Amino acid sequence: MIVESNSVAVPMSESPTSSPAPAPSPRLSDPERWVDEHGDYLFKYALSRLRDPLKAEDAVQETFLAALKGGKSFQGRSAEKSWLVGILKNKICDYYRKAGRETSFTDMEFYKDEESDRFVQEGMFKDGWIHEAGPQEWDSPGASLDREVFWQTYRDCSNKLPKNVATVFTLREVDGVESKEICAMLNISENNLWVMLHRARMALRRCLETNWFAKQEGAK
Amino acid sequence: MKLFASLKTKFVVWVWNRTPTCAEMSRLTSRALEQPLTIKTRLKMRLHFVICAWCRRYFKQINFLHETAPRLGLELGALPARGMSAEAKQRIMQRIRSGH
Repeated sequence: MIVESNSVAVPMSESPTSSPAPAPSPRLSDPERWVDEHGDYLFKYALSRLRDPLKAEDAVQETFLAALKGGKSFQGRSAEKSWLVGILKNKICDYYRKAGRETSFTDMEFYKDEESDRFVQEGMFKDGWIHEAGPQEWDSPGASLDREVFWQTYRDCSNKLPKNVATVFTLREVDGVESKEICAMLNISENNLWVMLHRARMALRRCLETNWFAKQEGAK
Repeated sequence: MKLFASLKTKFVVWVWNRTPTCAEMSRLTSRALEQPLTIKTRLKMRLHFVICAWCRRYFKQINFLHETAPRLGLELGALPARGMSAEAKQRIMQRIRSGH
């Protein structure tokens, strides 16, 4: 199971395969303690990507079982938690691959939601930003990165995306999977992926501007 | 002054007619993160940026989101608050034991 999953070329900085230095003494804690120690974290991780508690539970269970069988591949080369997260990532990709075969990942409804209200409708400057409605200056965005509330807003905004679009966004932007791999995984065309990513980024930018950056300025 | 203003308008119109629209620019901004654009397209974008503060901001902000998004997965506070149900933990624990 684990071998099959690992054949997927997903960049996994936390996976045990990324650090080839062999350690002499493998230390693997008692599998029965895994659930208590890592269960909640893995569940939250899976839930943030699969957005369904039952699917998330299944993914965690499969992760533990795969880890149990593949215990030998854990050579104490990376922290136990990172090792489990690496396996979980593959399980999540497996799930998407299956889902991509069964259902279309193209979210047509979202496609209709052009931000056309922000562009000039006609005339010489058709499709130019309407000045008042276009992107506004963000006040030192870097400073927001240390604020917990900023990440909460970011997450709330990404949760507002249609499910499939959010999936694509998370795979591409959060997990850093290459676009070609996502296309193969979800069985969608590259063009399709581009459109979905474009919409996701546009909607997220707008949401963050309204709910965070515009308010920051007003708070001054 | 008047001459300058009219020259400026002429320049803006000249550039506008030769570069992608803002709607197209937003698509290209996203596309550039997926694959390298041709030099011709990149030059046209640069030229458009000269006359359009909105597209400059859009480009900067989309790239900011692209660079920061990976942290969205790392910040524990950004993960859902609820943990796994006790029943699920129990069930998984049993599976692990039987899997021994």
